[in-house]
Amino acid sequence: MSVRFREAWSEFWVSGVSKLGVAFLIALSAISIYVLASYPLDFGLRFWNNPPVWSDNPRAVPPVWTSSFVGESLVEHKTFLATEPANVTESVESRTLTYEFSIDYGYDDFPSFTSFSVSNATFYSRAPQFTLVFERPDNATLNLLREVAPAKRSEEEPPVTRWTAPPRRVYLTGDDRVASAISSFLARNFKLKLSRDQIINMHPEVPLFGLPEGENKTLSWKVLKGVYRIRVEAQLFDPRDTVGEIKYVLGGSVFGAMGTDSLGRDLAVGLLFGFPVALFIGFVTSTLTTVIGAAGGVASGYLGGKVDLLIQRAADLVYNVPLLPILIFFTFAVGHGLWVIVVVLVAFGWPGLAIIVRSMVLQVRESQFIEAARSLGASRRWIMFRHVFPQVAPFVFSQLIFYTPSAILSEAALSFLGLGDPSIPTWGQILQLGFQNGGVYVGWWWWIVPPGLLIVVTAVTFVFLALGMEPVVNPRLRRMR
Amino acid sequence: MSALIELKDTKMVFKVRKGWFSTLDLRAVDGVSLSIGRGNTTGIVGESGSGKTTLGRVSLRLLEPTAGKVLFDGKDITEVKESNLKWFRRKAQGIFQDPYSSLNPYMTVERILEEPLVLHEIGSDREREELISKALTDVKLTPTEEFAGKYPHMLSGGQRQRVGVARSLILNPEYIVADEPVSMIDASSRVEVLSLLRGLQEKYRIGFMYITHDIATSKYFSERIAVMYLGRIVEFAEARTVIAEPLHPYTQALIAAVPDPDPSNRLHDRSVVPGEPPNPINVPSGCRFHPRCPRFMKNKCEIKEPVLREVKRVHQVACYLYD
Amino acid sequence: MALLQVEDLKLHYKTLRGNARAVEDVNFSIEKGETLGLVGESGCGKTSTVIAITRVLPKNIEALKGQVLLMGEDITKLPDEVFRKEVRWKKISMVFQGAMNSLNPVIRVGDQVAEPILLHEESTKNEARERVMDLLEIIGLPKEFYSRYPHELSGGMKQRIVIAMALILSPSLVILDEPTSALDVSIQAQIMNLLKSLKRKLGISMIFITHDIALASDLSDRFAVMYAGNIVEVGNAAQVLTNALHPYTQLLLASTPRLREDVTPSYIPGAPPDLVAPPTGCRFHPRCPKSFDRCSSEVPADFEPEPGHRVKCWLYGG
Repeated sequence: MSVRFREAWSEFWVSGVSKLGVAFLIALSAISIYVLASYPLDFGLRFWNNPPVWSDNPRAVPPVWTSSFVGESLVEHKTFLATEPANVTESVESRTLTYEFSIDYGYDDFPSFTSFSVSNATFYSRAPQFTLVFERPDNATLNLLREVAPAKRSEEEPPVTRWTAPPRRVYLTGDDRVASAISSFLARNFKLKLSRDQIINMHPEVPLFGLPEGENKTLSWKVLKGVYRIRVEAQLFDPRDTVGEIKYVLGGSVFGAMGTDSLGRDLAVGLLFGFPVALFIGFVTSTLTTVIGAAGGVASGYLGGKVDLLIQRAADLVYNVPLLPILIFFTFAVGHGLWVIVVVLVAFGWPGLAIIVRSMVLQVRESQFIEAARSLGASRRWIMFRHVFPQVAPFVFSQLIFYTPSAILSEAALSFLGLGDPSIPTWGQILQLGFQNGGVYVGWWWWIVPPGLLIVVTAVTFVFLALGMEPVVNPRLRRMR
Repeated sequence: MSALIELKDTKMVFKVRKGWFSTLDLRAVDGVSLSIGRGNTTGIVGESGSGKTTLGRVSLRLLEPTAGKVLFDGKDITEVKESNLKWFRRKAQGIFQDPYSSLNPYMTVERILEEPLVLHEIGSDREREELISKALTDVKLTPTEEFAGKYPHMLSGGQRQRVGVARSLILNPEYIVADEPVSMIDASSRVEVLSLLRGLQEKYRIGFMYITHDIATSKYFSERIAVMYLGRIVEFAEARTVIAEPLHPYTQALIAAVPDPDPSNRLHDRSVVPGEPPNPINVPSGCRFHPRCPRFMKNKCEIKEPVLREVKRVHQVACYLYD
Repeated sequence: MALLQVEDLKLHYKTLRGNARAVEDVNFSIEKGETLGLVGESGCGKTSTVIAITRVLPKNIEALKGQVLLMGEDITKLPDEVFRKEVRWKKISMVFQGAMNSLNPVIRVGDQVAEPILLHEESTKNEARERVMDLLEIIGLPKEFYSRYPHELSGGMKQRIVIAMALILSPSLVILDEPTSALDVSIQAQIMNLLKSLKRKLGISMIFITHDIALASDLSDRFAVMYAGNIVEVGNAAQVLTNALHPYTQLLLASTPRLREDVTPSYIPGAPPDLVAPPTGCRFHPRCPKSFDRCSSEVPADFEPEPGHRVKCWLYGG
C-alpha cells in the first residue's frame, strides 16, 4: 500500500502544474489557519456586523497604498484618543479639563469626515459640558459645538454615568451646529457667504481644512497645510465628576490594507475572514456532494433493482423540485446560516453526479474483469469499491475539484438573493455588496476586484490540483519512462 | 471417486422482454448432462447461440440454473447461496476470452494476482509475494519483478491472457473453465498458451472445461469433445474420434469449415452448412438442426428431438441417422 | 505488367519513445486476378503496409517513402485530391478490420452501398439502386435486403454488405484486412466461398491480410510473409505452404494446429521485437533456431532460390 502511495505521489509531483496548485493550496490553508487561530470564531458577529467597530472608519475609501500611485498625498485616517487632559483649570463653580489633539496636516486632500466622541461622563449633580474648539494653522479659531450630557433624572441616584455604551458620538460632518459655526467663520474671516446647508452639502471638512479661492461660481478650495489643534474643553461641576475617554477621528481618504466598503468596514479584515469560509464552503459542499453522488451512482448502477429505482426516483424528485422556493422556505424555517446553505447545495447537487456515474457504471458492469472478480468470489461490496469505483474515479475526482469553486460561487449567488448568512463575511457577499452599491460604476475597484480575484485564484488552485491528479488516477496518462 | 464437476440435465432459460408485458424464453442451455474428471479436459465446441458460454458460467455457478443440478466433488451446489459458496470459488476458477477487458486497467499485474489471495485471506504479505512470483513463473512472464509492476495496457494481448491464466491459478483450483482463452490471440501464439495450460494441468491435476468455437485447438487441448448446438449436446466422444470420424452432420460441417494450410484449398469451395446459426429464442421443433441439415429426413427429424445416446464405444450422438 | 507493384516501401511512426519502424523495405507485386495473402503476427506491419498504399494515414507519421505503381503509374506522386477522387475506392478499395461494426446504424444498408456511386460517379439514385441490387444478388443476399438496417442483419450478412461496398465501383484491387475474424466458423466458410466465387466471376485482384496462414490458404494464390516490418518470404501457395524457406515461415506453419494431420503443433518462443529499437541485422535472429553470426550484424538481402520464390535470409546466399 505504501508503495502505491509513494508511486502516486511521485506521479503527481512530476508536473509543474501540480506544484503550483499545491503551493497555492498551502498559501490558502495557511492564511485560513492564521485567521482561525487569531480571531475568535464569532468574528462575523463581533467584527463584521458590529457597527461600533467600524463606525469611525471612512466610507468607501481605497487602501492606504494607493497614495503612491495617485501621486498626491492622500489623507491618512487618524484616531486621536485622550483619557488625560492636557490642562486643568479651576474656577469657583467648575473645573475645566482641556484635552488637546494636534494634527500636522500635510496632505493634498481633505478628510472624508470628522467625528468626536465622549465616553463615560460621570457626575454627581450638574451634567458636564463639552466644547469643541478648532484651531487652524492660520491662527483662526472656531468653536464648533457645545455638547451637554443628559441631566440627572429624579429617580436616579448619584453618581450618574452617561455615555458608556455606546459612547456619545457626534458626526461633525453632518452636524448643523458645526455648519453654522463654519458659516459664521467664513463670513467673518473671508467675507464669504455660504449657508449652513451649502456647507453641509460640500462637506464641512473642506472649509475647515482649506482656504477659499475665487468667488461664487469660480469658488474652489485649497488645502491649508500646517498644524491644526483641536481642543475639547470639558466643564465639570463637582470635584468628584470624571470623564472617560475623548476621541477625535480624522476620516482619511484612504484606509487600511484593502480599503473600506460603503459602511466603513475594513475590507482587509473581511477578505481575510473569507479565506477559511471559502475553503470550508468549497471543500465541505463539494466533498459531500461528490461522496453522496458517487455512492448513489455506483450503488444504483451496479446493484440495480430496488436500490436503483429508489435512487433514481429521489434524483427525479430533486430535479423537479424548484430550488429557489425550497431554499426560501428552509431559510424561513430554519434561519440563515452557513450550514443551511451547505445542506441545500449538497441536496441539489448530488443527483447530477449520480445520474452520470450511474450510466458509466452500467457500462463497466458488463466488463469481463467484473465477471472475473465474481468468479474469484468477491462480494458485491468488494466489486463496487475495488473494481467499479476506480473506473469512475477519474471523473468523480475531477468533479470534486471543479465543484469547489462552483460551490463558492453558488454561495455568492445565494447571498445575492438574501438567502446567505449575513453574519459571516464571504467573498461572494463582499463582491455582491460591491455591485449592489454601484461600486462598478463609481469606480470602487478595491471593493470589486480583490474578492473576485480571490475567487478566481481559489478556483485556479483547484483546477491545477485536478490537472495534477489526472495521471495518478488514470494510469494510461502516465508518462512512459 | 466422483467426478470433479457434474452437470445433470441442466437448463438455463433467460427471459427476454418483448413489448410491454410479454416475455420470451431464451433457452440458452436446454438440458445438458456432462461430467469432467480431475486432470481431464472436456472441450465444448460450438458457434454463437450454442449456449457454450452459458454452460461454462452455470458450471461455475455464476448463474443459477433454471433446472437440473450442478455437483462439485459430489456436493450439490445448484441452489446454494452466493455467501456460502466461497469455498467453491476457491476451487473453481475461470479464464476469460477478452484479454483487453478481463483485467482491471487500473490495477497492476501484482494487484490483480494479489486480489484472489486477499479475498480468501490466504497467506501473509510475504507469502503472497511468493505465490504471485510463482504464478508469474508458471505462465512464463519473467522476470517476474518486471511484470508485476506493469499495468495491462503495457502488455501485449498474449501477455495479458497469460496474466489471466496466472490469476486463475493462484488459488490452486481444481477446476477451471477456460472460455475462448485464445480466440483473440494470433493463430501462431495460440499453441503457446494452450501448451502452457496443458503443462499446468499435468502439474496440478486441474480439470478443464475448454470452451471454443475453434475445433482445431480443441483437438490439441481436450481429451473429449462435446459439440453443442442451440443449447444441447449433439455429439460427444474422444477428441480424436470426433475429428476423425464425426457422425453428426453439424459436426461434419464444422470440421469441413476449418481449413488446414493447403495450397489446394483455394481451388475449390468448402462445403458449408447453409443459413445462419439460429437464435435460441426461436428453437426449431424436433431436431434443432433440421432446417439446415443436408441429411434431413422428412417426417422424422422435425417431429421429435433425437436423444443423445451412445452409438459406438464412448461415442454419443443425437441424430436419427444412427437410430 | 503487374497490377500493383510496391517498391521499397517505408513507413515510420512517431511515438513517445522514438521512431517506430513499422514498414521497412517492403517489395511485392500482384498480377491481375491474383490474390496475395499478406500473413504475419499482430503488429508485424501488415496493416501499416496497406494504409501506406491507400494513404489512410494517421497524424503521427515520421517518414513515408517508396513507390506504389498501379498499372505502371506511381500513385504516391499523386496529389491528395486526385488520389481521393480517382484512385481510392475506384481503383483500390478496402474492407477494414471490424468494418461490419462501423456501418451507419441509421441508414439503410442498400443506401450505404450506393453511397460510393453517388460520390464518385454521375448517376441517378435509381440507377445506383439498380446496380446495388444486382450486386446484392452476386454476393448472395436477397434484393429485398436493400431496405434493411444494419441491426436487422446477422454478422455474416453485414460482412457481405461491407464487401459489396468495396466492390460497387468495380475496383481493380480490393484489400481485405481480417475480414472474417469476428465471425463464426461456418459463416467464415461461407464468406470465403463468396470471395472465391467473386474471384472467379469478376476476376478481382485481392490482398488478403490475416494472422492465420491456414485461412489465407483458402484464397491466396501467392503469399507474402511479414515479420517486424519486413517481408521475409514471397512465393506462390505451393512454394510457401509446402516448401517454406524462411525459418519464421516454417515456425509459423508448425505452430498452426492441424485438423486433418496428426502433428503436434509447436510455437515460436519469445515475442516480436520493439519496432522503435529493432534488433541489428535480421530482425528475426533473436528468435531464430537457425541463426548464425552474420544474422546479427547484417540485414539479409533478398534471394531467389526458385523462380518466383523470394526469401530474405542469409541461409540462402551471400
